[in-house]
Amino acid sequence: MNFWIVLTVNSITFGGLLFLLASGFSLIFGLMRIPNLTHGSLFMLGAYVGGSIVIGLFGFKLNFWLAAVLASLTVAALGALIERFLLRQLPGDQLAQVLVTLGISFMAADFCLMVWGGDPMSVATPEGLGGFARAGGAVFPLYRLAIIAIAVVVAVALWLLLDRTRLGAMIRAGVDDPDMARVVGIRVSQLFTIVFALGAGLAAFAGIIGGPILSVYPGLDQDMLPLALLVVIIGGAGSLLGSFVGSILVGFIYNFGQALLPELAYFVLFLPMLLVLLLRPQGLFGRHVP
Amino acid sequence: MATSALRLENVDAFYGDSHVLQNVSFELGEARMLGLLGRNGAGKSTCMNVGMGLLAARRGEVSVFGEAVTKLSPELIAARGVALVPQGRRIFRSLTVRENLLVAGRKPGAGSKHAPWTMDTVFAMFPRLKERTSQMAAHLSGGEQQMLAIGRALMGNPRVLLMDEPSEGLAPQIVAEVMATIRKLKESGLSIVLVEQNPNLVFDVADDIVILNTGGVAVVSTPAALRQDDALLRQHLGVF
Ligand SMILES: Nc1ncnc2c1ncn2[C@@H]1O[C@H](COP(=O)(O)OP(=O)(O)O)[C@@H](O)[C@H]1O
Ligand SMILES: [Mg+2]
Repeated sequence: MNFWIVLTVNSITFGGLLFLLASGFSLIFGLMRIPNLTHGSLFMLGAYVGGSIVIGLFGFKLNFWLAAVLASLTVAALGALIERFLLRQLPGDQLAQVLVTLGISFMAADFCLMVWGGDPMSVATPEGLGGFARAGGAVFPLYRLAIIAIAVVVAVALWLLLDRTRLGAMIRAGVDDPDMARVVGIRVSQLFTIVFALGAGLAAFAGIIGGPILSVYPGLDQDMLPLALLVVIIGGAGSLLGSFVGSILVGFIYNFGQALLPELAYFVLFLPMLLVLLLRPQGLFGRHVP
Repeated sequence: MATSALRLENVDAFYGDSHVLQNVSFELGEARMLGLLGRNGAGKSTCMNVGMGLLAARRGEVSVFGEAVTKLSPELIAARGVALVPQGRRIFRSLTVRENLLVAGRKPGAGSKHAPWTMDTVFAMFPRLKERTSQMAAHLSGGEQQMLAIGRALMGNPRVLLMDEPSEGLAPQIVAEVMATIRKLKESGLSIVLVEQNPNLVFDVADDIVILNTGGVAVVSTPAALRQDDALLRQHLGVF
């Protein structure tokens, strides 16, 4: 009994982290039509930078939450730079843009290895959240519940941004029909920078928030990227609801697959992707790409 | 013609290797309406795309009120006061009616003589849109989508309006409504290019006519003269 509850909570927690990672990936995919292969690197970089600030590796120490915010802002700025100075130079050439993101992801992996070495960095659970909540005989780690709450808050904030503001409507217009968005005067290239920075910041935030449960290690980037891809293919590129549902689904499939069929974990993970691609290529909540 | 609102001069345009516009020149006068006719595939939409900056002319010049815009992007050409009602309407399908107008809003340029278009004035012109402000645009009827596409273009407070087959696929009664709207816009002083395949729709409202044939300008004339010349119309447009 307890086993299933724990597995369920772990699945939702992991789904929440995936949502933070994949929502930006999905927006970037929807708007710019490129799978951003640096997304795993941005996640890992956020985790390393945030973790280093928490333990004072850069000569100053901040509490976990301030470190998370600072790391996210730093990586968001890095994302904006990547978009402005690299992707922007290859307008309309999606293959070249994807290759650039792939190249950057390799470089980032090397960079992290050089700076932080090959040993995993453990990130302590933030103060006050190390304990457990008990309900009806089951025990829930407080920090995992906090992650779920954070994911829900971010989801609502993103929804408000995308659904209730003019900027959000412009982004959705750009996802719908980029050429017509430009025709009505929307500076789609500025939206690219904003969305890329936002996605990078969210990925980094997911990285540091996930630090206490996943720890930070070389290869974390390549562990996370396929999961983000999976979420977006299942949920549909550019759809916030799709990212949310896709993340939770993948969170469950990943955790249950690992627990019940460990030798087939990847098979179980990628089978739904194949099915979605074959039966509903635009994803569960995506629209047909014109 | 004192000032030209939009001028294409010796424009050549390509899609990849296919040479679609050959040495196309025409001129839209200020506060006038130019009817651009031609068979399917003649290059009408391509002219609109060049005028809007969606497709760069490989040779030749495009200018708006005397200012060269040849190499500018659509968003910058929009900022110079050009708006497009594209063929097939291409409203933002997943946005609501209100959001479609909201994202296209732009204050009129300096020296504009007219009361600016706002969401309220667009809704006053198209009351049916007003009843559907928070409906998803994809769920509108064809006629409503066309009205929304026109309203969206007007929200940019343009000086030049490019309309690409606004009557396409609409019931006759809706076509009449859309044409009445276009006439009103013309009377407001807007300079308009009206692309159509059916010359009779255009002859009633346009001041000048250009007929394209296989990517080149075949005829430059007026509705009055062309009404007398069935042979010429048949030659370039087929049977009407
Ligand atoms: N995106 C495109 N790629 C390649 N060829 C195109 C494209 N759009 C139009 N064409 C070709 O260019 C020619 C002119 O098309 P178009 O300007 O759309 O004609 P019209 O609007 O007068 O019907 C046609 O032969 C058409 O097949
Ligand atoms: Mg056409």
